[in-house]
Amino acid sequence: MTDMDTERQTMLADMAAGVFAGIGWQAEFDRDWPRMAELGFSGLLLSEDEGGFGGSWSDLLVVARLAGEHALALPVLESAVASRLVAGLEFEGVGTLAPSSDGELSGDTWSGTLSAVPWGRHAGFVIAGEEGGAVAIDTSDAQITERTGLSGEPRDTLALQNARAVRVDGGPLALGAAIRAMQIAGALGKALAISANYVSERQQFGRPLAKFQAVQQSLAQMAMESAAADCAAFELARSLDRDDASFETAAAKTRAGMAASTGAALAHQVHGAIGFTREYALHHLTRRMLAWRSEFGGEAYWSERLGRTIVAAGADRLWSDLVARTDP
Amino acid sequence: MQTFTIKPYAMPDSAPALREKVRALVAEHEHRFEPARRANCWVTPDPEFSCALGQAGLLGMGWSKEYGGHEMSALERYVVLEELLAAAAPVGAHWIADRQTAPLLLRYGTEEQRRRWVPGIAAGEVYACIGLSEPGAGSDLASVRSNARRDGDRWVLNGQKVWTTGAHISHIMIGLFRSEAGSERQAGLSQFLIPLDTPGVTVKPIIDLTGSHDFNEVWFDDVRLPADALVGTEGEGWKQATAELSLERSGPERYLTSQILLTEFVRRLEGGADAGQLRLVGRLVSELSALRQMSMAVAARLAGGEDPALEAVMVKDLGNSFEQAIPQAIAQAIELDLSADDALELLVAYSMQVAPSFSLRGGTREIVRGIVARGLGLR
Repeated sequence: MTDMDTERQTMLADMAAGVFAGIGWQAEFDRDWPRMAELGFSGLLLSEDEGGFGGSWSDLLVVARLAGEHALALPVLESAVASRLVAGLEFEGVGTLAPSSDGELSGDTWSGTLSAVPWGRHAGFVIAGEEGGAVAIDTSDAQITERTGLSGEPRDTLALQNARAVRVDGGPLALGAAIRAMQIAGALGKALAISANYVSERQQFGRPLAKFQAVQQSLAQMAMESAAADCAAFELARSLDRDDASFETAAAKTRAGMAASTGAALAHQVHGAIGFTREYALHHLTRRMLAWRSEFGGEAYWSERLGRTIVAAGADRLWSDLVARTDP
Repeated sequence: MQTFTIKPYAMPDSAPALREKVRALVAEHEHRFEPARRANCWVTPDPEFSCALGQAGLLGMGWSKEYGGHEMSALERYVVLEELLAAAAPVGAHWIADRQTAPLLLRYGTEEQRRRWVPGIAAGEVYACIGLSEPGAGSDLASVRSNARRDGDRWVLNGQKVWTTGAHISHIMIGLFRSEAGSERQAGLSQFLIPLDTPGVTVKPIIDLTGSHDFNEVWFDDVRLPADALVGTEGEGWKQATAELSLERSGPERYLTSQILLTEFVRRLEGGADAGQLRLVGRLVSELSALRQMSMAVAARLAGGEDPALEAVMVKDLGNSFEQAIPQAIAQAIELDLSADDALELLVAYSMQVAPSFSLRGGTREIVRGIVARGLGLR
């Protein structure tokens, strides 16, 4: 990483933090999306020739962490990834990713159903399908059933008949999993900060909660889960920038999912009843973490897939394959 | 909030060649290794293997050539350490000397102390132990009562140390003694270099619950040492002893102790595995991968002259929890006859018994999490 990369990321972080903080979970698509479009987040991963920002996946990690940290209820990351996958192709509107689909490509049209599509109701196109067989589908004429995920965000069902479709490189499941792992890292870091602040201020039995060893131990455990999620996300972004990131995607989504589960539980535990209220901000983070944990493949899916690859390669390659991922 | 600072770093170009070198050396000696104890390899001594490592130039990697070192980078050293641990090689004889004692002497020791002891450590021939814990003190290390008093131009040591790993095979101890009568807690402590064959030193074994002999009690009964047995500055012992803790706590030995168990579990599954077993493999490797990233990030920052103390303790506790969970998780995922002589059964049986020690040695879980909490600004 060069100084220019660092400089670019600092600039990105400043911009994203400023904008996301003012919108957060209170985002309304119609009101707030134009600002995102104007700032060019969808073009983050497009080259400058393609009209984009020329960013790397490590740049996207910076934005994804902040989106997670601010519980941003807009498809900034989905659209950045979708836009990259259709670079050079004619698709209009906001792009997003379908975690699962049931349908068929016939020539240059696609018919079938896309499920749990983030902000599907607002999408101009959706990337769907398996790795190696992914397609970009024009969803401007989709029949939409509006649904809501556990975080309260749109997760819609889209039915399509002979919609225009083009094959693309890159699987929406893996890339969706990658951005969710990054968002979890951001949200968990924020939940940790809120928790540390809360226990320092809240007095019980005549002293701050932070002075109780049992509370300290919980916060320490949360910090370690947060650190593990961050490190996994960092390595994932680095691998996406290198080439193949199939190992890192599975590992980061699995590890971040575990961190989300443990971290959300501990954040609520140290907050007591106040954290369980609608009014207190913690749930915007914890409910999202838990939703993201399951989206685009949960721990069961990714750990099984990773385990299958490892067992197929055999015991004698377990270690050497692992270190080969980071060796020059 | 990002408590764990990650700075980009790259593994050294020499990494693949170093790995091959370590793997070849392990292959040469592997037939002699005791199968079960490979699950706790960094406290299992094998002087013959340590000497072989020294001859191959794989010890003292970061030190100046003047003292028998090889002037390699911290990450090159890291590669060698993780290869040895992943291969479950018995590296216990030299581990503490190479990790802590020689770096301590190179930083604080006199020229005479360096020349006398450091080259032997790099050769894999001189081993060391650390005298910190005392009877009754437990985790409260600052309550040191063993004392050192001046007598003319000599020091006279009295007292007792306990839980001293490897004292029975070590040539020297770096011990923490109260050198100022009447001082309390962290003040008035000094570090001494004690050749263990000095008259008045008695080493007695403490046998652990598996029947192994790793720990010892060490008595000091009017042990007379020359003035230059003092390491560093008189009264600065606490600071010196804790300065290198990040090195002790963040290394790969904090999460790779049970790597061979995972390897043998995968070997067992090669003939067929159910979804739950595959998921366990995937989950454990995901955790391993994140821990390795954390540990390497700390190593890279230490190499850059920083002291990421908070990150280091996080590696220790998270790593300990991970390696402790492995034998239990495997036992839940697969039927095992723990009286059998197969590699997996021997390793599971042994590591299940020693696993509790992982979060005791090098600072208990409670102490370590307290340090993390302090890093978060909670205490």
